[in-house]
Amino acid sequence: MKKQPIPPRWADWLLEVFVAPPLREDVQGDLHEVFYKRTEQEGLSKARRAFIWAVLHYINPYFFKARQRTNQQSDYPSPSYLHPAMLRNYLTIALRTLAHNKAYSIINVIGLSIGLAAAMLIILYTKDEVSYDRFHANNPNLYRITSRDITPGDQKPSYNTNTGIFQGPKFTAGTPEIRSFVRFQSGQSDIRQGNEVKSQEMFSTDPEFFQLFSFPLLSGDPKSALSRPKSVVISEDMAEKQFGTTDALGKIMFIKTEEQFEPYTVTGVAVKCPQNSSIKFDVLLPITVSKEDIARSDNWFSFFLNTFVLVRPNANIKAVEATMNRIYQTDAKNTIVEMAKKFGIKSKTIYSLQPLTDMHLSTDLPVNNGLVDESRPTFSYILSGIALFVLLIACINFVNLTVARSLKRAKEIGVRKVVGGGRNQLIIQFLGESFLLCFVAFVLAIVLLLLVLPTFNQLANKALSFAYLLDVKLIAGYIGLFLVTGLLAGFYPAIVLSGFSPVQSLYSRFRFTGRNYLQRGLIVLQFSLASFLIVATLTINSQFNYLTTKSLGYDDRNLVAVNKSSLKHSEARLLKSELMKFPTIVDVAPKNRGFWGTVAKVNGEKQLSFAYETVDEMYLPLLKIPIQAGRNFSPDFPSDSTQSVLVNESFVKEAGWKNPIGQEVNFFAYETPERYKVIGVVKDYHYAALNQKIRPQLFTMKPKNDFGKVFVKIKPNTETESLRAIEQTFKKLFPINPYSYSFLDQDNLKKYESEAKWRQIMLFGAILTIFISCIGLLGLATLAAERRTKEIGIRKVLGASVSSIVQLLSSDFIRLVGFSFVLAFPAAYYAIDKWLENYPYRIEISAWTFALAALLAILIAFFTVSFQSIRAAMSNPAKSLRSE
Amino acid sequence: MRRAFLGEFEEIVLLVVAACPAEAYGVTIWEDLQQQTGRSITMSAVHATLYRLEEKGFLSSTMGGATAERGGRRKRFFTLTALGIRALNDVQEVRSRLWQAIPPGKFQLIGG
Repeated sequence: MKKQPIPPRWADWLLEVFVAPPLREDVQGDLHEVFYKRTEQEGLSKARRAFIWAVLHYINPYFFKARQRTNQQSDYPSPSYLHPAMLRNYLTIALRTLAHNKAYSIINVIGLSIGLAAAMLIILYTKDEVSYDRFHANNPNLYRITSRDITPGDQKPSYNTNTGIFQGPKFTAGTPEIRSFVRFQSGQSDIRQGNEVKSQEMFSTDPEFFQLFSFPLLSGDPKSALSRPKSVVISEDMAEKQFGTTDALGKIMFIKTEEQFEPYTVTGVAVKCPQNSSIKFDVLLPITVSKEDIARSDNWFSFFLNTFVLVRPNANIKAVEATMNRIYQTDAKNTIVEMAKKFGIKSKTIYSLQPLTDMHLSTDLPVNNGLVDESRPTFSYILSGIALFVLLIACINFVNLTVARSLKRAKEIGVRKVVGGGRNQLIIQFLGESFLLCFVAFVLAIVLLLLVLPTFNQLANKALSFAYLLDVKLIAGYIGLFLVTGLLAGFYPAIVLSGFSPVQSLYSRFRFTGRNYLQRGLIVLQFSLASFLIVATLTINSQFNYLTTKSLGYDDRNLVAVNKSSLKHSEARLLKSELMKFPTIVDVAPKNRGFWGTVAKVNGEKQLSFAYETVDEMYLPLLKIPIQAGRNFSPDFPSDSTQSVLVNESFVKEAGWKNPIGQEVNFFAYETPERYKVIGVVKDYHYAALNQKIRPQLFTMKPKNDFGKVFVKIKPNTETESLRAIEQTFKKLFPINPYSYSFLDQDNLKKYESEAKWRQIMLFGAILTIFISCIGLLGLATLAAERRTKEIGIRKVLGASVSSIVQLLSSDFIRLVGFSFVLAFPAAYYAIDKWLENYPYRIEISAWTFALAALLAILIAFFTVSFQSIRAAMSNPAKSLRSE
Repeated sequence: MRRAFLGEFEEIVLLVVAACPAEAYGVTIWEDLQQQTGRSITMSAVHATLYRLEEKGFLSSTMGGATAERGGRRKRFFTLTALGIRALNDVQEVRSRLWQAIPPGKFQLIGG
């Protein structure tokens, strides 16, 4: 007896899945019969193939649907379920149900509109982010020259986004594919207007600027506006400020050049730069490069401006980059060797081109040095994540409430089915209802969006406007969002509700069988998202508090910082003596402006890079920074300013000194190398923001280095008179310099603006998700209480206390919320740990954060649910039991 | 009452069932169909049509006894109902009326 051949099992299984039970037996039988016949006639493999082929044809809805296999023909055929009369009926019923169940409708509309508004806002934000610098007509042929330094043995190259004065012109001259270049250098100078002097950011650039970039001019010739020296192009805002009119062509502006005010002629007035531009200018000057600079070959190595190039269309960028590197290697050959000898530079510089449109979101090659609005793709991701959370939670509410409320509608569904409504008709009807709700929510969301846009702009540092919304892609995106939300919210309930059996729903009281796992699962998911955000918010909050309250290692209270560019040591002394005449001023200490850094040799050959401060003997005492060893600068040692330096503890560690006092620091890179002795070690303090590690730092009193700002310590609560005194003195001594002041402690807080913003955004996100989750929970609790009114009535009659009933109704929900922590906390732990890794000075993740989050979530949920339960428990049982 | 419409393929299936000497079930109907029309037809099309005809009331079916040769599954035997016979007659009548209405001599022109 040989074994009976059998058709492929999986195909057989497929058949069972796709063919409804009433038809299954004979269809399967017929196919098997054919298969056996085939096997005998044509062999097994052919028969198997034919069987599979035949089975695939059964994958169609006709066989899938369970059919009432009756031989009756209805004498009253149903109209099509899209018949106008039917549509009118759906709409009437939908409006009626929405009107009857006000609480349900309001919860859903509020939830969905908040969710939609959040999603729309983020779509808007993300669109703006990716649209940066795309408005230039010369895209995609605009690039920025960037480079990376590769040191043998180092894993990571170091990236440079800037170039010097040579790269632009020399690469353009030697590469036919590069059509033209524009250098863009930022600087700060003063503008005089009458007797007022204002400090103003300005940019120097090449004459082709307006040919490369699409910045339209209101007046002036884009070709020649910047071709003559002492010409200036200003923005319309600047023209308004300076001349009170945008019609400023040919007018004269006094701009400080080389220590005196020179007249510049306005040759162009530019339209305000778009919001999504990395280049935003108010004042543009022609770039000037001196003859000496052109002759100095080591200018290949000083990087301080952005260079943009326009490449021929369809140029091979890889080939262009190779040509650029060839030019650099030949033109700078001797200099490279010389620099390597002189400074011991081992790295090799490789030039490349970065598309202009990639700059804004680039992590390795960000925008800087005069280019603005640096951003990172993570911002978009995090915001999108939050928006999705909110929208998802709103949809979950909808699903949950609709399914839960469907018990009340079971009768309607039963009646519809009995009088001949098909399942399709019901699905269409319920989907229609969800879309109707969604539509109302959508309109509300647009209103909400317009309301919160100004606040959001402040938070995200943008200038998004309603005009932005009138964009085809965006509108398409929003309509897509609307459809997806409608489907997401309506699909599942529609399937469930339309599946009710009419007999059950009309004959007996309808009950869901089984323990409603879907509803539970969704509540757990909702609260997981919410508690995840609570944990994130709490962590960001405590990290922010840590950053803003941590001792910086010096005293920044009651310190006024006054800026004055290139302040000579003699001028500083004069300013100090003048200021000390006022009783409210405690002391004065000058310091260099900004962050300086340089390199020196220690222990003979070891090179060390460090922050470089020029101060006088008052600086450390004024800021209450302690000396760990040795001594501070002192007027008693006149040699201090020429031979001594102070270093901080990190410097000592890096240099590996056992006894730092008396060690030598060799500034070898100077024309004539200078050697200094260490006379003291300063305790490490946070001279930069707390998101950077304390690096080696060195203090000098070298008279050749000008100061750039003055710290003035004032007596507490004397701000008004002290500021008046400082301003008067400053204007008396330096009448042609702009006067500006700031309080150091406020400056220090400003460093954490981005953290502050994220804190707020997270907080909003968390509040929204919690709010929407809670209104959903409220709806469910209400329905649960309604369903059990009779039960509660009986329990009360039999003597149950109010509190025991509240417990009965709430415990289910609270348990689910508790369970959601199991999901949320590991994910949250991972996420915040990742985020905190960015901070060298950070809080440790504590169990308290999670405990507090758990407590918050449980409390919020409990209040929400108990609000309903108490109402149900307090109701009069006589009322609920009167009927029946 | 709505006149149930009879499609071309449905009509042929009905005729095959009517013409079947023995009891007609899925496989025999499918084989006869392919033979009579010379088309290759998928089994699923035959099944779908049979069930649809049954829903329309032109066919009725009964399940036969269990058989050995198809894994013990029962066959579904189809027979024409009175309504099915009438529908076939109606179609036939319409056709023959139209045939008779063709003017003599016209077919030579068409190339019949």
